[in-house]
Amino acid sequence: MSAPSPILLDCGTGYAKIFNLEDSTRAIVPARRFIKTLSEYDIKASTGHNLSSGAGARVNELVALAEGALSMVDEPDFTVLDFGARDVKYVQIRSRRVAGMDWNTECGAFAGQVVELLTRYFDVEPENLPADAPRIPVVCGVLGMTSMFDMISNGKSHEEALAGFLRGVAFNCETLVGRPDRLYLSGGLCDNKAFVSAFTRETIPLGRFVLIEGLRKIYSENNI
Amino acid sequence: MMQERVENGALIFDLDEPLADRPVKDIYLPNAYCSILKRVVSNIFSLREDGGLDLVLATVGKCKCDGMRNIASWLERTTDIPILKVENDNMNGVGFPISRSGLPLLKKMELIVNSVFAPLPEGLTLEECAPKCGFWGVPPYDFAILELFPDETHIFGWTRCMENKTPADIEMECDVDTGVPTVFFTQSFCQKSAFAYNLAREHGGLYVEVDKMMSHSTRAKIEAFLEFNLGWRGKR
Ligand code: SF4
Repeated sequence: MSAPSPILLDCGTGYAKIFNLEDSTRAIVPARRFIKTLSEYDIKASTGHNLSSGAGARVNELVALAEGALSMVDEPDFTVLDFGARDVKYVQIRSRRVAGMDWNTECGAFAGQVVELLTRYFDVEPENLPADAPRIPVVCGVLGMTSMFDMISNGKSHEEALAGFLRGVAFNCETLVGRPDRLYLSGGLCDNKAFVSAFTRETIPLGRFVLIEGLRKIYSENNI
Repeated sequence: MMQERVENGALIFDLDEPLADRPVKDIYLPNAYCSILKRVVSNIFSLREDGGLDLVLATVGKCKCDGMRNIASWLERTTDIPILKVENDNMNGVGFPISRSGLPLLKKMELIVNSVFAPLPEGLTLEECAPKCGFWGVPPYDFAILELFPDETHIFGWTRCMENKTPADIEMECDVDTGVPTVFFTQSFCQKSAFAYNLAREHGGLYVEVDKMMSHSTRAKIEAFLEFNLGWRGKR
């Protein structure tokens, strides 16, 4: 049996993001599958919801997000939002230092898992969503979905209703981060064009490995 | 009056606090309601069921919240549970050395909560320390949240008012040390969240809302706030 691979790990609710320290490769695997193969890995450092023990040095998710974003964005002042499967968090950087942060901790119903489920459930192509759909107020995910299904039963197309829901979610995110002119986005929904285009400001996706980049920086500086 | 009852053998329970072997029954109030008040009401009914309840002293003034006033009125109208509504508008403070001491935050909170009925333990010395950070709010339902903070955390908000014996002192409740990184804590569905939310914005602090037990995300958010502001990575 080969020796376990040394890795850095961001294990979220939906997916595990892995950086292999031996060959510098990256991988994304469903978290439930990754957890079953833990013995194949030597986890040097980790962040994320889904592993609490035996996972190397633990790094706080917001710290990993801040460090990762700082290593990927050159600007002195910026805001990065991580839209995860079950919650949403952000870090605000001023003069290259963390000046603000928050984490919506209570309602996971308007987070990534719902957006992903709905996109799949309606089987719509992001390109086909109308750009001018009116925003549905998403007070919480459940009430937002109720309004969305009401729209459909009142004759609106599925595409229009879903686009309105996504705009409601994006609006909440913008409120959470204080409406900066430009917003950097982290997490699985960076690949979801419909979601990215639901924001009303310049939105730049950084991809799914921002926390991993933070871990790499912290690990290489021996800060853990 | 209380003194007389105690001398006659009555026991006093703090209904805000968990009672041994009496788990909270979440059946008397709406789901979306303060978990402290759910515990108060559950404690009232379970003491009542055991036949061990002579009187409920319900604090209903500015010193507490509208929630308890409404609950006391509901119990009075619809049950025969003996309720005595009381208000504590005392404005003569006795000081708040525990809030400013260097004891562990959880210990500070226990001492303040227990001081409602019992004198401070003999021989307790309280040395004031400079605050590294602040905890603003009411005593939480889940004291585990307090273990995340360094010992040099000062207590602000209603808990400080409680120690000072001036629970209706809104000015003191809203007073925090400018420049000290502070976590503004509120129970979910508590009206004091309006204070917590806006004070956090005013002072660049962290607003934290918890219903019952702290979630992983809430813990991580507080840990990150302390790490960013103090370089503090906990007592682990
Ligand atoms: S937490 Fe707020 S709502 Fe609950 S009892 Fe205390 S003051 Fe009242």
